[in-house]
Parts: sequence; C-alpha cells; structure tokens
Amino acid sequence: MWRNVVQRLLLALPVLLGVLLLGFLLMQVVPNDPAVVRAGPTATVEVIEAIRRDLGLDKPLAVQFGLYLSRLLRGDLGISNINNMPVATELGNTVGPTLELMVASLVWSIPLGIAMGTVSAYRRHSWIDRIIMAVSVAGVSVPVFLLGLGLVWLFGFYWQVLPFTGRTGPIWTLEGLAGIALPALTLGGVFVGPVARMTRSAVLDVLGADHVRTARAKGVGERAVVLRHALRNALIPVVTLIGLQIGFLLGGAVVVETIFSWPGIGRLAVGAILSSDAPMAQGTIIILSVGFILINLAVDMLYAVLDPRVGQT
Amino acid sequence: MGETVAVTSGNSPHAGFALARRASLLRVLLGEPVGAVALAAVVLLVLAAVFAPWLAPGDPYGGDLADTLKLPGEAGLLGADGQGRDMVTRLLYGLRTTLAMSLAAVVIGCGIGGVVGFAAAYYPRVSGLLMRSMDVLLSFPAILFGLALAAIVGPGIVAVVIALSIATVPLMARVVRGSAVVVMRQDYIEAARALGLRDRQILVKYVLLNCLSPIFVFVTLRFGQVILLGALLSFIGLGAQPPTAELGAMAADGRNFLFFAPHVSVLPSLLIFLVVLAFNILGDALRDALDPTLRR
Repeated sequence: MWRNVVQRLLLALPVLLGVLLLGFLLMQVVPNDPAVVRAGPTATVEVIEAIRRDLGLDKPLAVQFGLYLSRLLRGDLGISNINNMPVATELGNTVGPTLELMVASLVWSIPLGIAMGTVSAYRRHSWIDRIIMAVSVAGVSVPVFLLGLGLVWLFGFYWQVLPFTGRTGPIWTLEGLAGIALPALTLGGVFVGPVARMTRSAVLDVLGADHVRTARAKGVGERAVVLRHALRNALIPVVTLIGLQIGFLLGGAVVVETIFSWPGIGRLAVGAILSSDAPMAQGTIIILSVGFILINLAVDMLYAVLDPRVGQT
Repeated sequence: MGETVAVTSGNSPHAGFALARRASLLRVLLGEPVGAVALAAVVLLVLAAVFAPWLAPGDPYGGDLADTLKLPGEAGLLGADGQGRDMVTRLLYGLRTTLAMSLAAVVIGCGIGGVVGFAAAYYPRVSGLLMRSMDVLLSFPAILFGLALAAIVGPGIVAVVIALSIATVPLMARVVRGSAVVVMRQDYIEAARALGLRDRQILVKYVLLNCLSPIFVFVTLRFGQVILLGALLSFIGLGAQPPTAELGAMAADGRNFLFFAPHVSVLPSLLIFLVVLAFNILGDALRDALDPTLRR
C-alpha cells in the first residue's frame, strides 16, 4: 500500500509543477505590465526600469520562473495591485471561511443524500423512489443561485430569521452559526441530489451481487440485506465519487460566496479578476488548483485504504 | 477497386440497421411520458431561442424607463427589468445567447475530445499519454478554468466558451475511448482490417457509427451541464457582460431588486433551471431507451 501512496505522490508532482508553470505564464499574458502597474501612473521611465530590475522582470523567462518558484516556496506570492497587501496574507485570511463553508455544507448534505439514495434503492420503483429521484434530478439541474436567492428571499426577507450578508462571527457562536446557515443550505442543497443518485445506483449494483443473494437465501430480512450487506459495500464507490465531487463543490463555493458576500477564497478570486488585480488572481487560482490536486490525492489514497484490491495490479 | 465494392456492400445494410434503430429510439422515447415531455420542451426552447428576433415583442436593449421594474402584468406579460426593458424580450434573447454559448462550447469540446478519444482507442501506443493528460484536466472543475480564462482573456463570452470547451474535452475523450475500445474488439473490425481498409475508413465507417449511442447520450447530458456552468460563470460576472442579454448575467443584474421586484432575477434563473432540467431528463431517457440493460 505504501508503494501505491508514494507512486501517487510522485505522479502528483509533475501536475503540481505544470499548474505552477501555467500560473506563472498567466502573468506573462496579462496585458498590464506589472512594473508599470506597481509604479503608478505618474512614475518616470527610470523608476519603472528600477522596479523591473527589482522584480527580476529583465531576466529571461526560465530564470524568472526559477525565481518565482523560490519565492513561492518562501510563501511569497507577490503583492496585490489594488491594496498593496501581500497576496499570501489575503489568501490566508480567506482559506478558513471557505473551509468552514464547505464543511458546514457537507455535514448535512452527505448523510441526507446517502439516506435518500439508500431508501430509493431499498424501495425501488415505489412512489417514494420516484419522488426522491425527481428531487435529485431537480437538484442536479438547479442553478445554485436560484436556490440561494430563493433562500435569501424566504429566510432573510420574508421571515427575517436568518442573516444573509457575509460571515457574522466565529462558527462556534450563535451569531456565526446563524450567518453560515443560509450559505451552507445553498451549497449543500445542490450536493444532496448527486449523492443520492450515486448511492442509489451503487446500492442497486451491490444488491445484484453474489454475497447478497447468499444472504437472502439464508433468510436474512430485506432491511438487513440492504443496510448490512449492500450499503456497506456500496459505500466504497460512493466515498470515491463524493471525494471527486468535493473538488467540484469548491467550484460551487465560488458562486455561493459571491451571492452571500462570504469572505472566502472564491469571492477573493472573482473580485481580483474583475478588478484586473493580476497577482491576486494568480495567487487564488494557484491555491485553488493546489487544493484540487490535494483533494484528488487524498481521495485516491482513501480509496486504496478502503478497497485493498485497488493498486495491487 | 474490389475494396471499394466491399466497403459499399458492407456499409448499406449497416446504415439501414442504424436508421431502423433510430426510428425505434424515437418511438421508445415518445412512449415514455417523461421522455416525450422533455423532448418537446427541448425542441420548444431551442425554437424559441432560434426565432427570438421574430417572437420578441420588444427591443432587448432599449427599454422605456417609465416601465422600470414593473411587475408581471403591469407592463408586458412578464414585467420589465431595472432599465424598463420588456422581460419576455430579454428572456428570449437571453435564452438565445445562453444556448449559443453552450452550443459553441459543446461543439468545440466534444470535437476535440472525440478526436482524442478515438486516437487513444485506435493507437494504443499513444493511449497512455493521452488518457493521463485527460485525467489531469479532469481533476480540475470547470469553474476553475472559467476563473483562469477570465484572468487571461478578460471576462466575457469568449472566456466562458474556451473554459467550458476545455472542461468538456476530457469527459468526451473518456466516453469515446471507452465505447470505441469495446467496438474495436468486435469481429467486424478485424474483418475490415483483413479486407485492407485504411485506418480512417475503419474509424469513420465502423467505429464511429457504432459508438454513436453513448456519444449521443453524453452530448445531451453535457449540454445541460454546460448551460448550467456557463450561467454560473456569467452570474458571478466572468461571462457575458451587461447589457448583453444572457440568462446568468440577467439573474445577477436583478439581484439588487430581489425584495421588491423578484421577477427580474427569478425569471431568468427559473428559465435556466427549466432548460437544464429538460436536457438532463432527455439525456436520462435517451440512455434508458438506447441501453435497456441500464434501466432500473
């Protein structure tokens, strides 16, 4: 198993390097010259040249990429063009809220989705199966902002019971919990459907397996067959699929953060791109990409742990 | 010359078979109420988008400020937006832009993905390299491509189309390679090779034709997803820019009036939901109709 883990880590390295290279090239194609932007509108040619030397922009691209990597390793992601704050500091402030939002969305949507999918498989072709599957098709098709705007209107405006404008405090306080409720309901809401569909089809697959037939033959009740023999085995593919989807949930988080002014990394990225803050945009895109690589790596390893047959070939 | 004769005689019953299957596919699809409704909805929505300039009662870019934020029924059938523009008109043009944007991304992405997939299936020597690079692309979500492209070429429809094309390529390549590999193992491919047909002839006439069902299902489902993703990117401001009538951008535009004129953002959001739902249900119905073994 360890050999497998090491192998995956080694495979992730070139991808990581590729992402960093792309992130670096991103800066080269952005129309604004970083030295001119940094120097400001009134700077003389000499000042711009000095800044250019300072930033190493007069060196060949390959050397610049090396310098860039060494700066990255030291946690230096450059300085925002807009507010002159170090990009790394701003990023550090946004990672927490984004993780908070994702965890708060997953803790309710995954159990609910698995429960719905299992019930659906257990009572396949019944009216409850039909309703659950209809709800999950709707969940896969709904734009996350329709759900978000609907919840804002209902809970924030009509009933006025929950806030909808940003993070209201640490999550362990009552105000913090109230503040994260609507964003987490929105983001989790689009996740229940896919989880339910994946669970249903995985459980149905396992229900056709030999060991389930054996369990039935020896007189195990249908409920025990589904819960003890089918669901447990079905969870292996479900966990993998959920893991892969979590990366995509991070994409949904970008939209939810925009709707609710949630101070996360997605909102920072969108804001940076819209205000042409190239260093900040580059930093957020790199951090998000590295996040996806890490999530995929973790899922791969989790899969190898859960299912010992993987990675032995 | 003998080869050409062999090809045509081998091809015509094959084409007839495909045609018969297509007719029965339509019958199966129409036999299921859900599939029939989804098909009708997709056809209607596409027609509405294509004929928007003739169907729309007003001008999508010029409004009457006196009608600003009028509710449905007060001005026009569905009211007016923040600049007094007729909502029916805006929705029709918005649907047109959204569908055109998605169509471009699906055509480009599936075109490139299809070539990669067939190449990987037909030339095992490059298969590993091609499919590994597809795996890498696959590990990043479409929204991230959207962010990166918007940072490079600037926010706009072009950025969205490129980003969603890139995000579609690896998915299509997987589907195509998966089904092409199965087809390649069939005896008739062996026979075609033995007859001395060239690679290109075999790929187009036999492999491609026999992979059409899974490709058809994938493209339908992917179209729905691409519409949704494009609308999301426009909603956060990285896609179509105002005043362009595009459903996601319109939903974002109406956000400021949510509490006193909710129709301005809710109607375009609902329309996106309807379109995506129709494509998803149609895709599921197609899959059930084409592959009865998957039906549950």
